[in-house]
Amino acid sequence: MHIGTGLVCGTKIKDMIQAGFHFIIFLADWHSMINNKFGGDMEKIETAGEYYKHCFTALGLTEDKVEYIWASELASKPNYWERVIRIAKTITAQRAVRALPIMGRDMKTQDVETASLFYPCMQAADIFEMNLDVACAGIDQRKAHVLAREAGEKLGWGKPVALHTPMLMGLAGVQGSDKGSYDEDSKLSSVIASKMSKSKPENTILLHDSPQLIEEKFRKAYCPPTIVEGNPIIEYYRLLAFHENETVVLRRDQKYGGDMKFSSFSQLEEAYKAEKIHPQDLKANMARILADILRGVRDYFDKHPEPLEQMLKIEAR
Amino acid sequence: MSQEQRLELVTRGTVEIIQPAELERVLEEKKKPRAYWGFECSGKQPS
Repeated sequence: MHIGTGLVCGTKIKDMIQAGFHFIIFLADWHSMINNKFGGDMEKIETAGEYYKHCFTALGLTEDKVEYIWASELASKPNYWERVIRIAKTITAQRAVRALPIMGRDMKTQDVETASLFYPCMQAADIFEMNLDVACAGIDQRKAHVLAREAGEKLGWGKPVALHTPMLMGLAGVQGSDKGSYDEDSKLSSVIASKMSKSKPENTILLHDSPQLIEEKFRKAYCPPTIVEGNPIIEYYRLLAFHENETVVLRRDQKYGGDMKFSSFSQLEEAYKAEKIHPQDLKANMARILADILRGVRDYFDKHPEPLEQMLKIEAR
Repeated sequence: MSQEQRLELVTRGTVEIIQPAELERVLEEKKKPRAYWGFECSGKQPS
């Protein structure tokens, strides 16, 4: 699991539990099968799901705080499929196809399997089946949630509130439209194309990466001097460092001016724009802060190596 | 915890809420509302 999933989603889930929500982490095994993850091999998908559960547990989302539900638990109920069909009846095929970027597919993808059209309908059905007030996801899932709200209204099942979080940018920074089109809105399309993704290891920090590996990946990251727009390292300060801490200290050698302390993100942003922080210091410090945030996860997997080993085994193919 | 504090916790760091007024209503009406996040179970390799 990468830090976009683990930290951006993980911290929001913790916020919601603190605000009094009953929170469900839904392990979408059926959806993964439809999306041909692990070639659609359900056994491998279950292994990956167990690993996900361990990752969230390592982040503090233990079974006494969140409820874990597998899609296959819902799918084993006959009524579930009636719900899927009722939703499908409210959506044109054309509309369902346009929602397929929720599966991480480019809008121009041809030869779509018919099973894919069930995906957004199932995603909507899950929300009603679990009787949810709020559906949370990254902004790349907004089309599914808009469909669910419209279908719910037409069917008299109510409209779930949709809550969307930012996509964490990959280490390579903003990717242009040549990386694919994921939304009619070009800005959102670029955000989705630039997100951190497990399929691009060099672009991604995994929850259990060692501090050395994190530092190494950060050294190669995109971080243009004085530029904050589209700079992934600046993004990590905004979304991760300042989310976990009130103040952030950048450690620096005395000969380069010594440590700098920031009590808000905008302060740090301004200092970077004004060339008061060298990109290398910005990167090295974020790598250190991130390695600190992830210490508990590394400790957990040191004690419980098996789920990670199983995951690496199925990934190796 | 006040309603304002709950709302602040839920909305901080988000890019979009559809719709904010509906969320406020959920928080007002329910002490323990239900929410979820769905995750595909996938590996590092593109399928």
